[in-house]
Amino acid sequence: MEIPLLKIEDFLVVSLQTELSDREIVELREEILDKIKKTGARGLIVDITALKLIDSFMAKSLSSIADTATLLGAKTVVVGMQPAVALTLVELGLRIKWKIHTALNLERGINLLRKALRSETEAL
Amino acid sequence: MTEQEELVEELSGLLEDNAGDLKMQWVKEMTEMGLLEKLTPIEIEQQSSTIYDTCVLTLKTGMYEAAKKYAREMAKKGVLEAMTVDQIIMGMLKLRDVYGRFVFSKYQSDAEKLYEVLGVYEPVANRILSIVALAFVEERERVIKEQQQAMLALSTPVLQIRDLILVLPLIGTIDSARAAQIVEQLLNSIVDTQASVVIIDITGVPVIDTAVANHLIKTIQAAKMLGANTIITGISPANAQTLVTLGVDLSMLTTRGTLRSGVKLADEMLKIEVVEKR
Repeated sequence: MEIPLLKIEDFLVVSLQTELSDREIVELREEILDKIKKTGARGLIVDITALKLIDSFMAKSLSSIADTATLLGAKTVVVGMQPAVALTLVELGLRIKWKIHTALNLERGINLLRKALRSETEAL
Repeated sequence: MTEQEELVEELSGLLEDNAGDLKMQWVKEMTEMGLLEKLTPIEIEQQSSTIYDTCVLTLKTGMYEAAKKYAREMAKKGVLEAMTVDQIIMGMLKLRDVYGRFVFSKYQSDAEKLYEVLGVYEPVANRILSIVALAFVEERERVIKEQQQAMLALSTPVLQIRDLILVLPLIGTIDSARAAQIVEQLLNSIVDTQASVVIIDITGVPVIDTAVANHLIKTIQAAKMLGANTIITGISPANAQTLVTLGVDLSMLTTRGTLRSGVKLADEMLKIEVVEKR
């Protein structure tokens, strides 16, 4: 399945529309990291508004995508999580370390990244 | 027509023919027992007629639907008018006695026939009584359930005090059922209002133990995943001490003493400045 990776300003936007199989998640991860490397994006936004369910593998993968992206210089924000998904992840949370930034919607996600980039630049 | 059906026909015919006398006898005995004090004479006449006729009809047709429907109505009315279950059940038992005695007096010369008639009459009478009792129990349960739900919904209002700030005042003890409901309501409100700061005020929560603290932490984590930050306010000194003694890790909580300072902090987080008008 093709998942479009869109570039807005310095950020890469991925919008997930359906639940992905484990294999598709792994492929997506490769693609995202390649694209970050290629475009030199400074931020990654993963939009999961449409997802009604996130299993532990998906959660772990999102977490590892975020970690790897950070190493490549892109900060990751997950946006649009549904209440039910958040509850499930909290219940799973005993076993999965979740340290990705989150925002309510795409707009707030972009603002968050901008702010983070600015403060990073100022610190240097 | 089988023998049984013949007996039913005969008995219900007898009860119908003597309806006037038997009803009067029944009402008289109930009045003597003080069961009808809250009813007007018209009500007594109507109710006793309907009950009497329904019982005879049930006996005649062997169908309990009418009896069930009437019992449900009676239960509803009885509960509303604060009529005790005792009064109604005693009334029904009395009716059973009146019928029973009537049957005895009719067939006392023929013991064998009496035995057969009772065999037809008793199961119906017993069934009707159990229907009445059950209707009352069910009605009580329905009322209790309704009230419980109303209380649950009332107990956790989510208030939007600014465009992006929600306040959730918690009052009363928090058990896991209530905690689950609180989380759900809060998360839905966050998505609905797109709020980015939530203030949970626990001034009204009498005891905070490990379970409650865990519920709070889970709520905060879930809200965080949606993209909203949470501030806890109103932890009493005693509760704070308990939490520390219990060793609950609260490093991830942002806390303020009072709701007022919580709102102030939320304003700061959102860079809102409240200025007096000049």
